[in-house]
Amino acid sequence: MIHLEGVTKKYANKKVALDNINLDIGAREFVVLVGQSGAGKSTIVKLLNMEEVPTKGTIKVGGINYLDFPKRNIPYLRRKIGIVYQDFKLLPKKNVFENIAYALEVAGVPTSQIKERVPKILQLVGLSKNSKCMPDEISGGERQRVAIARALVHQPKILIADEPTGNLDPKNSWGIIDLLLKINSFGTTVLLSTHDKEIVNNLKKRVLTISKGKIIKDQKIGKYDL
Amino acid sequence: MITFWRIIKAGFTNFVRNGVLSFASTTIMVLTLLTLSTFFILNVALTSGIEAIQNKIDVSAYLNDSAKEQQILELQNKLASLSEVKSVKFVSKDEALERYKIQNAGRKELLESLEGIDNPLPASLEVKVYDPAKLEQVTSVFDEDGAKELVRKVSYKENKVVIDKLFSATEFIKRIGIGATLVFGLVALIIVYNTIRIAIFSQKDDIEIMKLVGATNWFIRGPFIFEGVLYGVIATIISMLALSALLFYSGPAMNNYFGGVGVDTTNYLQSNVPMIFLMQLGIGILIGISSSLLALRKYLKLR
Repeated sequence: MIHLEGVTKKYANKKVALDNINLDIGAREFVVLVGQSGAGKSTIVKLLNMEEVPTKGTIKVGGINYLDFPKRNIPYLRRKIGIVYQDFKLLPKKNVFENIAYALEVAGVPTSQIKERVPKILQLVGLSKNSKCMPDEISGGERQRVAIARALVHQPKILIADEPTGNLDPKNSWGIIDLLLKINSFGTTVLLSTHDKEIVNNLKKRVLTISKGKIIKDQKIGKYDL
Repeated sequence: MITFWRIIKAGFTNFVRNGVLSFASTTIMVLTLLTLSTFFILNVALTSGIEAIQNKIDVSAYLNDSAKEQQILELQNKLASLSEVKSVKFVSKDEALERYKIQNAGRKELLESLEGIDNPLPASLEVKVYDPAKLEQVTSVFDEDGAKELVRKVSYKENKVVIDKLFSATEFIKRIGIGATLVFGLVALIIVYNTIRIAIFSQKDDIEIMKLVGATNWFIRGPFIFEGVLYGVIATIISMLALSALLFYSGPAMNNYFGGVGVDTTNYLQSNVPMIFLMQLGIGILIGISSSLLALRKYLKLR
């Protein structure tokens, strides 16, 4: 599902963020990407979302080769990959329902379908009662659920979560992780990037450990080991 | 189509949400359009006024009764030979009387007063010129020896004041009008550009999020462009109303100033409402759209 081959990313300041990364993630897998801040986790997410282009190497996601993917089609690719961020990235002037609906609106989905699909996804993330709330009226955990709902509303085959629990307390963090596991059980490939030791150790899933831009470990049932 | 309506809706929402900025943009646009169309209308009206007056200008040289036919013919030929002169017409005493009678057909007492006496009206030479500015040159012929004795009175001077006023006004309007329109247009573009830029800047995080959830550049650009169009449309409506009021109240004063000769701006506005409206709308929308596109360039460069 996700294939990185010899991927190197150097930023303009000559800092090497990723150094010859090789990585394969299969369909329906739940993979945890572990690393300290600045290790290169977010760069991988940005490359997968086409916010950045690799300096060297090949990236293929869901059969699409990024190398010859036209820039003008990036929006259509983003509708196929769900991404969740540490800072939620919700539109502050839109309520919970509208935030999720927006992802469908940009894709030209008819209003009747939006009215059908959004409540279903809100039910999945347990926020049916909050659909009229503005983002600043709900808790951090709830905001992250909204972000997950938005990422899932296009029914993507891949969900990438970049430090989704970074701003949350342990209880809310586990709520989000449970939700990701549930989504994975429905058949969605999940790539979770985190540096939360407790979560990594308790998940008992495949763990990729990244340090200084290199993947230093790839364990089938891994532990936090940095 | 559904996307188009969503863009329109978002544009409206932006416009209302950025109330103060929208107000500033629209106001400056109104001022621009108002300046532009005022100068435009004044220019057209004055030009048509001048044309009207040009056709009306008969420099009439009233001749002494003692003038001989041969002398008059010589003077007429001399005038006709001048390149500035369009035509010279001799109006005999009898013709003058006929005209007088026609002009005063309804006024019995005037006509009766002429009965029984010799025709008191003088013969005249009516001279039309191509360019009113050359009028003085032409009429100087009447002051030359040989002509001076024939001519009793030259009647161009009464019109001359109006002509001079019209001329200097048109020149002024042309010179100032083009400059002022350009300056105001540029100022409007800069202000509307900056207003939209501020609006965009305050939404730059939103724009990033929109891109990340898969919005195309046109989907993001659309509402801002529509906002620009909205500035143009609202400004045009306000400016048209203000213009009508301005011309309605200043029209009579202007007519007076020019002695009621063909400078009818209110009338001009009335008969050209669609044209002026479309002109303003076009310029307003053009400024709105180009400001939006300019202001958005930076934020849409991101992948």
